[in-house]
Amino acid sequence: MDRAIQQTDYDAFSCKICAISKMYLPSSKELEFCGMRGFSELHMAYAQQLKGLNRRAYGKVQTAIRQGQPLMNYGTYLRTLIVDIECKSFLENAANENSKIQILNLGCGSDLRMLFFLNQYPQLTWIDLDFAESVSLKAKILKKNEQFRNTLGEPQGADDTEYISDRYLLKSCNLNHTQKVLDILLESSVPEVPTLVITECVLCYMDLSQSQALIDNVVSFYETGTWVSYDPIGGNEADDRFGAIMQANLWESRQLELPTLMFFNSVEKYAQRFEDETKHTQIETVWQYYIQQIPQEEKNRLKSLQFLDEIEELKLILSHYVHSKSSW
Amino acid sequence: MEIDNDVAMQDATEEPLDPTLDEDASTRDGGGSRNEVGLEGSNTADHRSSKPLQLDSGNIGQLDKWIEHLSSCQVLSEEDVGRLCKMAVDVLQFEENVQPVNVPVTICGDVHGQFHDLMELFKIGGPCPDTNYLFMGDYVDRGYYSVETVSYLVAMKVRYPKRITILRGNHESRQITQVYGFYDECLRKYGSASVWKMFTDLFDYFPITALVDNKVFCLHGGLSPMIETVDQVRELNRIQEVPHEGPMCDLLWSDPDDRGGWGISPRGAGFTFGQDISEQFNHTNDLSLIARAHQLVMEGYAWSHQQSVVTIFSAPNYCYRCGNQAAIMEFDENHNRQFLQYDPSMRPGEPTVSRKTPDYFL
Repeated sequence: MDRAIQQTDYDAFSCKICAISKMYLPSSKELEFCGMRGFSELHMAYAQQLKGLNRRAYGKVQTAIRQGQPLMNYGTYLRTLIVDIECKSFLENAANENSKIQILNLGCGSDLRMLFFLNQYPQLTWIDLDFAESVSLKAKILKKNEQFRNTLGEPQGADDTEYISDRYLLKSCNLNHTQKVLDILLESSVPEVPTLVITECVLCYMDLSQSQALIDNVVSFYETGTWVSYDPIGGNEADDRFGAIMQANLWESRQLELPTLMFFNSVEKYAQRFEDETKHTQIETVWQYYIQQIPQEEKNRLKSLQFLDEIEELKLILSHYVHSKSSW
Repeated sequence: MEIDNDVAMQDATEEPLDPTLDEDASTRDGGGSRNEVGLEGSNTADHRSSKPLQLDSGNIGQLDKWIEHLSSCQVLSEEDVGRLCKMAVDVLQFEENVQPVNVPVTICGDVHGQFHDLMELFKIGGPCPDTNYLFMGDYVDRGYYSVETVSYLVAMKVRYPKRITILRGNHESRQITQVYGFYDECLRKYGSASVWKMFTDLFDYFPITALVDNKVFCLHGGLSPMIETVDQVRELNRIQEVPHEGPMCDLLWSDPDDRGGWGISPRGAGFTFGQDISEQFNHTNDLSLIARAHQLVMEGYAWSHQQSVVTIFSAPNYCYRCGNQAAIMEFDENHNRQFLQYDPSMRPGEPTVSRKTPDYFL
């Protein structure tokens, strides 16, 4: 089961590489507002390193690029942009020269956002946590590349399965074991420092009680913070079969479970996971984000990249993914 | 699918998907005929006959064998696809841009390579040729059995040319099939692009609209600002790749919309058209209805423009993940309409079902 979840990292990463290869990413928003210079180059350099280290993951990257499905590129573009902008906005709001800030990426997988933001904010520290297999692969790749090392800071210690520097911590941790998460946070993070927590397709793979324990404990740990989450929702209309089919498809083809997909099946229900512990939660579907937040000019740019043949299908699928932001 | 892990990333990212590679090739050759550089067996369009295909006991036996083979979701050999496409050209080239169709007929929308669901469609609607069928395009792409689906429908068309009509959809195109799966599927199932080339050459001959008993105008997409009368459709030169713009493109790409007038399509091709446009078109041409496909509708069919336009979509649980019903529309001698809805065919434990996961954001 853990392995099935861990493997989803390669799906996410290969989708991102595909969206880069088809020019969806980076958007001008990422380059200009988020300051993510070298976006394509750094991601491609990472993908290139995968080749020698994990053929399965690299194979997925190649397949994704070959298939290059426009709908997947749209969704990947939106998901990436949403979280990138949330990171930047948090950093801009929380940062002033003297005060420290932290970002905690739970279930980070092969995500490379830390490279772009550690560069821009000297007062930022970043913690990446995930399964041992993901973390060890990522640590190897990051340590191999000088450009990565320069940004993250020279790694300390001889342990090749993690990455520890002054400002960056990449460590293995099963998020179902809340106490272990808290132990790492106690050791490596400061409760008084404003913190952004990211869960990007992470909570959906966890049981109800374990995901709630993770949220409650991590929120309680930090004095002030923001939690940004991206996940699928099952849909709450009586005739909406999207969620049930998604569960069946993922279980049959890869033994991947989404235990709470039909429980947190609407934007309202999904927001409830955060309501006890946080002051304020904003939530929208990714379709709403696309319609309301992407300027027409950018929509035209996307349209010019590939023929998107089915708007109805795009709407259906993006309406079953949410972006939430909770602050405390 | 086998993954070649030894192809450098650079190669993979720069893998060309030149949408016009065939056009370029034949243009460079300078010939008037489109497909002179075709591979052996894919010269579908070259030696086309000046007379419609005559069915005789020989080719009927051949076709029946192919149909039986295809019915069990098995692909034909590359050579047989070549023979089939050549026969099909000699049927389809003699059909009209606005192909007349008699009643009763059962009108169907997108199938998209969902072969097992196509078999379910024939169970729900009644077997062909006992029931007459009109398909409004999009046989290939997205589903896992585009080759089997389009081979089957083309074989049925050649075998029962008066009983089944197959129009062209926007996916019956060289460019779109390279993005949405048919091209890759041909490569995977035949080891080369020659079958893809034969079929996409054949697609150029598919009629683009049909007129059922002079009253129901059927087409894949919708109306065009450059077309006011059905006669103007008859004047088009349809034997070509689906263009990026212009009336033929619009007929295969446009969508009805709640807003009046013409609008810019969010799809990047064709237009949106309002109720005023549909009503005017039906009035001008003495039509009772425009039947079209092209859009996913959750119930399998959907009325728009106060029943001037109906959308029919015949791929249940589209792409194996959308959860929609499919539908077909029976249209009888008295012009009564009846919709038949259906769900995906049940195929528990069948090994023919691909183990590939539909795509999700994970």
